[in-house]
Amino acid sequence: MESQSTGGATAIAVAPPAPPEALLVARNLTKHYGAVTAVDDVSFYCLPGEVHALVGENGAGKSTVAKMLAGAVAPTSGLITAGGVTLDTGRIRDARLAGVACAFQELALVQDWTVAENLALPDGSPLRGFSQRGAAKAAEALLSGLDLTHIDPRAQVETLTLADRQLVEIARAIGAKPKLLILDEASSALAPPGVAWLFTRIRELTAIGTSVIYVSHRLGELAEIADRGTVLRDGRVAGEFHRGSWTENQLISMMAGREASRAFPAAPPLPVSDRAPVLEVENLVAEGLNGVSLSIKPGEILGIGGLQGHGQAELLRALYGAIPASADGWSIDGRAVKRLTPARAVRLGAGYVPEDRKREGLALEMGVGENLLAPWFRPAQLGGAPRLASEKNWMSGVLGSLSVRTRGPLEAAGALSGGNQQKLVFGRWLDRDRRLILLHDPTRGIDVRAKQELYRAIIDLSASGVGVLWFSTEVEELVHVCHRVVVLYQGKVADELDGDRLTAEAVVGAAVGSASKHKGLS
Amino acid sequence: MTTATVRPRQAGALRLWNAPGITRLRREGAVAPITAFVAFFLVYVIINPGLLTRFQLQTAGNLVVPLALAALGQLIIVLVGGIDISIGAIMSLANVVFATAMVSLPVPLAILAGIAAGLACGLFNGYLVAYLRLPAIAVTLASAFIIGSISREVMDRPGGGITPEFYLATSGELLPFIPISLFWLAVIATGLWFVLQRTALGRHIYGVGSNMDSVSAAGLNARGAQLAAFALSSVIVSFGAIMLAGSTITGDPRSGDPYLLSSIAAVALAGASFTGGRGSIIGTILAACTLGLVGSLLFFAGINSYWQYVISALIVISVVGIPVIWKKIYLALRKANS
Repeated sequence: MESQSTGGATAIAVAPPAPPEALLVARNLTKHYGAVTAVDDVSFYCLPGEVHALVGENGAGKSTVAKMLAGAVAPTSGLITAGGVTLDTGRIRDARLAGVACAFQELALVQDWTVAENLALPDGSPLRGFSQRGAAKAAEALLSGLDLTHIDPRAQVETLTLADRQLVEIARAIGAKPKLLILDEASSALAPPGVAWLFTRIRELTAIGTSVIYVSHRLGELAEIADRGTVLRDGRVAGEFHRGSWTENQLISMMAGREASRAFPAAPPLPVSDRAPVLEVENLVAEGLNGVSLSIKPGEILGIGGLQGHGQAELLRALYGAIPASADGWSIDGRAVKRLTPARAVRLGAGYVPEDRKREGLALEMGVGENLLAPWFRPAQLGGAPRLASEKNWMSGVLGSLSVRTRGPLEAAGALSGGNQQKLVFGRWLDRDRRLILLHDPTRGIDVRAKQELYRAIIDLSASGVGVLWFSTEVEELVHVCHRVVVLYQGKVADELDGDRLTAEAVVGAAVGSASKHKGLS
Repeated sequence: MTTATVRPRQAGALRLWNAPGITRLRREGAVAPITAFVAFFLVYVIINPGLLTRFQLQTAGNLVVPLALAALGQLIIVLVGGIDISIGAIMSLANVVFATAMVSLPVPLAILAGIAAGLACGLFNGYLVAYLRLPAIAVTLASAFIIGSISREVMDRPGGGITPEFYLATSGELLPFIPISLFWLAVIATGLWFVLQRTALGRHIYGVGSNMDSVSAAGLNARGAQLAAFALSSVIVSFGAIMLAGSTITGDPRSGDPYLLSSIAAVALAGASFTGGRGSIIGTILAACTLGLVGSLLFFAGINSYWQYVISALIVISVVGIPVIWKKIYLALRKANS
């Protein structure tokens, strides 16, 4: 029955029978969407007090599996039992009543509600009473019990940062006191301290016998938190692993079905150029920014580091003209900037990949082609089919060079997977005579292969003389791919790192305050 | 701003402005319509001090109460992200069913019959919108025609058996000092407030309008909340129809028609979001009072009443627009100071 062990992580053919004490058993799960098979014959189990990871590329089916477990999607066939209860209705409510709670990747918080309302309202009968004060009190107790005292229960969710919203979403799932907690990419918006917080909570839960299903792309996290795991590829189980018996490269090749490596490509050497900097800004002030000065040379990849909420999002938006900002001196590609709007920024040669691809990046109902062309439609130009036909070469070039998996320019952008959507937002700026590209964490929540493709594209941009300003929550990316990294702290530049000083420790040190900053200097 | 761990002590006015209740009113967009109503009321009383006499106040109350109830009904539909084109027709139907039932049935049963007729319309709309996922505007437009025909079938010309006693109880001088119609409005509005703000169902209704997907993903019965909103709305509208029947002492198959556009205008004036999830009860009532009294203000000011609609339009645009402009000025000032 034991399958072949190749250095720990095992590729298996037959699902092992679940032991009787298993809290969650998923057997032969299959899900068809029309003709597409998203999940095919997936089986695994989870013991009480265990952290079971679901790993795979985007489109591998792990989010669909998580949704089936959470009750958001009914399986086409197969069986899920949690604590002896069979879950097959496809209703989240039933799953919650059975003790299964899920923190969703696409956050399931109501923006107009306060934190307290979001925490209080999901459970229980609609006919019970409700009071703002009581809900706020309960939320305060829950949040302080989970060590989240910085979140105001009376604040409206839409005023919170993405990371805080994710913390609230996780807190709500934990607050349901589940027997099984599903975390679907729950760490994707969290900075390292947030991830550490999450792991502490997970350990508290497993200590009292709660099981956790942990869906993540971040292999580094799995090494720390996962007891066992299932690797999915193309909707099928590609293998299993347990703690301490695997290496990153093994998992990646299992996920990709080929030898792949997590290695980051190195930035190309800076071209020696006497052209003016593509961006020069002095003492930039905006909401959340207290005087930032930057300069980017042609072809330079400038990383922005720091914890979330220290002005990175505002910096990128201000530089693109999306929020009001002013500076003592400001030029893009040598041309002075006074008041910037996004349209003017595009005319000056800037491009922007926003934080939230679904909300700010794409028109989900519109086609892939029209989304690529979005910045390039001028009011008096042709639209529709004639335009798509005339831009066909450019579009297929972009889609090809980024390997976007799509049925073509007419497919709705909303039908693509997350990584491919991100490539669309990125791809609209390729081969369009750009001088400066602003990236807001473009690799958040996308799979390993898509990440590699994006790194490649960023480096190609740099090689062709485009300046790149890249904010990332993944420190390793900044350290390996950027020429230079600027770390923001409380809306100001805390440190600027390049050459030998550009290490992950230095970036993290500068991000958490000035104490460790001088260590790097000495 | 929400991450501040220490909240500094604030000056008195600022603290009042940030008190939980006021914050909620601000969030629901109710500050502007409340301010507008106070200003309007002062202007009205200056032009026509006679408003505060017993008779005029009662007339004004009878005029605005059906509109206020229709607007509240519209508000509930708007909260779940819909719009109700059939609100006038539901009002007419409840009105004629009630008036007809008054001929033969005792008053409580007649009231129940009127409400049941309205509720049936609301459940019909709500079922099609919530469970068959049809767009609210198409469903209610279609049902407006159907319900309109049914009301004419029930009663083809104004009439019915409404008694003077019923007029006294709904629109007359039953209570000392205050108009009885305003009393009933207050009772119904308080009940509605309780449902929307103090039960989970009410908060679900707000949540469904704010983000249907999030609410379902959180494990709520989103469709049920939508259906409940339609049902609740039709009951409130039926109360409005009965109040209207009481104050006019007749049932009329066309009586609800003028309330459709005014109810939408009042909801817009109240600062509610037409994509759903945001809107206040008190704001809507005061917005309805403002719009309902524009006509009589012009009468007392000696202005041609054709201008009524222009003035109403200007009120709506300026009340909705002023907060937007104010925010711009505020940001510009802050920028200049920094």
